[in-house]
Amino acid sequence: MAQAFMQTARLFRFSIKKDWGKISLWLLGSAFFIFGGLFEIVQLFGGDPAERETLALVFQNPGMIALFGRALGEQNFTNGAIFTQVMTIMTFILTGIMSILLVVRNTRSEEEDGILELIQAQPVGRVAHTAAAILLLVTTNILVLIISVVILMALKDSSMMLEGVLLTGTIYATSGIFFGAVTLVTAQLSTNARGAMMLAFGVLGVSYIIRIIGDVSLSFLSWFSPMGLLYNTEPFVKNDWYPVFISLGTSLLLIALALFLKQKRDMGSGLLPDKEGERHASAVLKTPVGFALNLIKTPLIVWTVALIILGVTYGSVIGDLDSLLEGNEILNQIIAAEEGVSISQQFLAMILGVLAFISSIPALQFLYRLRTEEVKGRLNNVFAGTHSRYVILGTFFLLSVCVALVLQLLASLAFGGAAVAMDFNVEFIDVLLAAMAYVPAVYILIGMGTLFLGWLPKLTAIVWVYLVFIFINLYFGELFNFPDWLRNLSAFQYVPEIPVEEWSWPVALSLTGAALAFSAIGFIGYRKRDID
Amino acid sequence: MEKIIEIRGLKKAFGKTQALSDVSFDVSKGEIVGFIGPNGSGKSTTIRILLGLIKADEGRASIFGQDVWDEAVDIHKRVAYVPGDVSLWPNLTGGEVIDLFLSMRGQKVDKQRKEELIKKFEFNPTKKCRSYSTGNRQKVALIAAFAADADVYIFDEPTAGLDPLQERIFQEQAREVQQRGASVLLSSHILSEVEQLCDTVAIIRQGEIVEAGSMNELRHLTRTQIVMKTNEKVPSLEEQDFAHDVSREKGEIIFQLDSDKMPEFLHFIAPYHVTKLESAPPKLEDLFMRHYESTKGGV
Repeated sequence: MAQAFMQTARLFRFSIKKDWGKISLWLLGSAFFIFGGLFEIVQLFGGDPAERETLALVFQNPGMIALFGRALGEQNFTNGAIFTQVMTIMTFILTGIMSILLVVRNTRSEEEDGILELIQAQPVGRVAHTAAAILLLVTTNILVLIISVVILMALKDSSMMLEGVLLTGTIYATSGIFFGAVTLVTAQLSTNARGAMMLAFGVLGVSYIIRIIGDVSLSFLSWFSPMGLLYNTEPFVKNDWYPVFISLGTSLLLIALALFLKQKRDMGSGLLPDKEGERHASAVLKTPVGFALNLIKTPLIVWTVALIILGVTYGSVIGDLDSLLEGNEILNQIIAAEEGVSISQQFLAMILGVLAFISSIPALQFLYRLRTEEVKGRLNNVFAGTHSRYVILGTFFLLSVCVALVLQLLASLAFGGAAVAMDFNVEFIDVLLAAMAYVPAVYILIGMGTLFLGWLPKLTAIVWVYLVFIFINLYFGELFNFPDWLRNLSAFQYVPEIPVEEWSWPVALSLTGAALAFSAIGFIGYRKRDID
Repeated sequence: MEKIIEIRGLKKAFGKTQALSDVSFDVSKGEIVGFIGPNGSGKSTTIRILLGLIKADEGRASIFGQDVWDEAVDIHKRVAYVPGDVSLWPNLTGGEVIDLFLSMRGQKVDKQRKEELIKKFEFNPTKKCRSYSTGNRQKVALIAAFAADADVYIFDEPTAGLDPLQERIFQEQAREVQQRGASVLLSSHILSEVEQLCDTVAIIRQGEIVEAGSMNELRHLTRTQIVMKTNEKVPSLEEQDFAHDVSREKGEIIFQLDSDKMPEFLHFIAPYHVTKLESAPPKLEDLFMRHYESTKGGV
């Protein structure tokens, strides 16, 4: 058996070398996420017990419970308890996704690519490659633990004692290790990286849904969800450690199962059968639009479903928010509410802004898919065909424009529908108008993306950076008093906040016009430049 | 001669497809064995079994007398392998990957040997693997293999992405390791390459070895092409057992002769006043085609 692990240490050191860039980005992201959440809760809302009580009420709303987790410590609502309820499940999802991607990248992906074949032809144990990935998974999650403990200790609140801090870090890491262990098994089941990833994300999604059902109605169910189980440790409230051991024990069993399967099976094989593909291309696939759509089919479905769920969630919460916060002066001050207009109506535009921000991610992603195809060298075949460059760029451009519009429309329909159903005091048409007001701003992003595709294809990432800036400005611009010139750099800044403000044709038309100008210049550049 | 690789009655099925139904052949010490067959005939499957990457359903395969599945780690210390389709980590340089592969063998990297090979293959080791072409990725694996001091070299269509000059370098290196006493198993469908390099060939068809032996032995099994001119007419040639596909053009007679019937043919032709006689030795291609044409439709 010792032979099976031969050279694990060397492969582990090597996997750090090839993966450290991606892992540091994830760790940095996690650090920002935890820091941001903590900062908001402790520094912005944590001063006054009365404010906390208000927040406690907000977090007892079923929508909030479904989204974040069961309400904790209703009797003595501390910063620690709020932090646990708001951040725990979200961080589980974050470390879960990080670990799923890490494991697939270091196991099945390399097997599918044929890299494992070269490694395995060396004097290397049969499970050494997988064992190295396990070490990388555990190391990365221990780093998550350390980072979160350091951040929590640095911004310490009187309600957050060392034991709770350690437990918080531990459950974040445990969640990562658990979903990583699940992925190690799915990597043995599916013959390809994509399948392994989808199966693992399926487990992640199902455990989130089981937790929702458990937290909202059938409380025993939350014990059957890996996320619900770890949530039951309730750091800063009960500090129960034993769910951690159950979770780690299960992970250990999964890891053992994965190693056993890896040891037994043939390279390249999986336990699940491969699906047989189509013999011929359909008529739709042969058209440029059909071809481009086919490339983005799965992510498009995922984004659509995610945005609708998010819309419904926000929609069902916003009504409650209004009735809970009415007449609460403290929170009114925090949100800097205007007299005579309900707080939630002022929130409306911001929530639709967030939805617009989120739907611009797939829009930009799909536009940039063209660049991915180019870099991978697959575009040469297309260019060698009968379609001109205008047609090819135009296809992806139009697709991106439509995706931005349709996703924002669907998200706002879901949001408005849920809000109206929950008796929220808003006109449905106002919700739609508020949502559509953001679309021209999203088009600025697509226009910039096209501009970069045409002239500076190596720098397309700049538009992503700009998108992050838009998000920060949307969330924190008011709070941190960003200077006006900085705020005005965000295209979203010009969008009227309906229903508090009026729909503005000049804004909509000038944003669209600018977006069109950017795009036109981009098209010219794309026509002229070399293909990589 | 000492047998280094021994393969006996290998069988392997993937689901309902029988990839190997009966594979047996040997590779002796200091021998280059060509392993030929068309796509999908089971070459790579056999090689993967030899490398312990997949497990045979039935049969036995050993290298250095050790079982290829159970003692893979031990065997691999003395085996170097190059696949036909090499993929590498995009964010590492070719030089880094070569060093990694060599260091995994537990040997000290022979820098001089490595540099020599890099120069011979005209390879730039400082670029990231993502920018390498197919041929350059293949060079990474080839340099790592030849720089290793192995006793067995296994190549699975190693020259698919190389230009003819680089192909020659490959052949040179293969001969060099052979002279050192190493054994080489070369899977290929470039028959001229196999013909130039190999002493022995094994031909696989639909997962079965249909022919195995030295090139000389095999040539006897096949036919030689004869082109001749005679002063006298040779009316009865078509009726002879040893002559096939006889055609007469512009006074020349062209036909296929069973290679082992040369004496009978010379005896038969003597009275007819031969003025021109050309014989072309059987090509591996003829041999190969004969096996495939005889059972068309099954592949």
